[in-house]
Amino acid sequence: MCLAIPMQIEAIEGYLARCQAKGVWRDVSLFMMQDEMPKVGDYVMVHVGYAIQTMTEAEARSSWELFDELLCETDVPPEHA
Amino acid sequence: MNEAQVWLEKMRALELPGRVKIMNVCGGHERSITQAGLRGVLPANVELVPGPGCPVCVCPEEDIYQAIQLALVDKVILVAFGDMLRVPVNVPKGEIRSLVEAQAAGADVRPIASPTEARKIALDNPGKPVVFFAAGFETTTAPVAAAIAEGLSDNLSILLSGRLTWPAVAMLLDSGTPGFDALVAPGHVATIMGPEEWQFVVDRHHLPTAVAGFLPESLLAAFYSVLRQFVDGKHFLDNCYLEVAHPSGNPTAQRLLAKTLDVVDANWRGIGIIPNSGYALKPEYAAWDARRIYPDHADPKRRRIGEMPPGCDCAKVVLGKIYPNQCRLYGKACTPRNPVGPCMVSDEGACRIWWSSGVREAETATEQPDF
Ligand code: SF4
Repeated sequence: MCLAIPMQIEAIEGYLARCQAKGVWRDVSLFMMQDEMPKVGDYVMVHVGYAIQTMTEAEARSSWELFDELLCETDVPPEHA
Repeated sequence: MNEAQVWLEKMRALELPGRVKIMNVCGGHERSITQAGLRGVLPANVELVPGPGCPVCVCPEEDIYQAIQLALVDKVILVAFGDMLRVPVNVPKGEIRSLVEAQAAGADVRPIASPTEARKIALDNPGKPVVFFAAGFETTTAPVAAAIAEGLSDNLSILLSGRLTWPAVAMLLDSGTPGFDALVAPGHVATIMGPEEWQFVVDRHHLPTAVAGFLPESLLAAFYSVLRQFVDGKHFLDNCYLEVAHPSGNPTAQRLLAKTLDVVDANWRGIGIIPNSGYALKPEYAAWDARRIYPDHADPKRRRIGEMPPGCDCAKVVLGKIYPNQCRLYGKACTPRNPVGPCMVSDEGACRIWWSSGVREAETATEQPDF
């Protein structure tokens, strides 16, 4: 549940952002980013469907690598990623 | 040399006076530590202790019982984060003891991954009451607060079991036997609340502290920082997750939390009440507060109310008093497929994380002498 993942924003409509991470798309709420609204192309750390902070592309990429390993090594897949 | 090796070399060059215990308070940290095998590569006298980092593990047994009754008796659509569904309550054999068992018995229980899904389910089922049973630390409770502030439909209410992380650490420190010499503070809690929240560990308790991210390099940087502080005797709050955990945190998230929720004394399963460690909906939002809307199903005759399941040492695991494999049931009666306690159910539970990463040997349950 606490597993936050970085995603890249591909489109924004109001507070809703279409985000992508490694070929997986999700609708992400930007409601908690109102003071520092990200733009299309930015990377955000996403937790339970909400962007909690922006981040750099480099940081996002290294997190994705770790995330891959976690998913491979777990014997029981997480109920929600 | 890669970045991880650089930190390890630097750590090995430090002259540690003796055993140093570093506590982490985040299931995500424990997962990264365990899966990257960091315990095996650190200097031998450095111990990494998983502490209170699993909100599902400490979610009051009474709240789970109430959620089960809301689904069974009040016939609401009960939605909850997935790892809450298999956490057992203490009821006589044969009675329904978890939300999945309620689901199997015909109740409408649905796992969700986001508060936005709860809002959608409520909108898709007008006229049907929907209850979102929400357990989580600050990082998860802030999105719940955001959903409340965005506006909930009339048929949706929240059974909130949100908890704050730092008060549990403060309780351990105030107990006089905290069981750790340095703290690695949770990166995403700091992202929301600000790293400064952990300054009290340095100022009041004079312990080395560093905020860490979730990559092995960030964790190793934090371990080096606190060990170096320990050796130098100069303690400060370090931030090894600057990229995401910005100074003073996420102001929008904090504003939404303050707008919708009060901080209250709260019960932690198997541990008891910790002052100012829980969230509750503000009276202005009473119309969406499942605790005010629905009858209290608490049954005072029920045995072992509020406790961990019989034989389960989760409370000690959560407080860092024992390691998961020091529980007598670890890997024997208790595995992720047949979990006895919440620490083996939740993705953030130390028992589940250790077992999933291949820790198979049980240790004899000798409690560490300095606790
Ligand atoms: S191994 Fe199982 S029974 Fe033992 S503390 Fe962990 S969850 Fe509880």
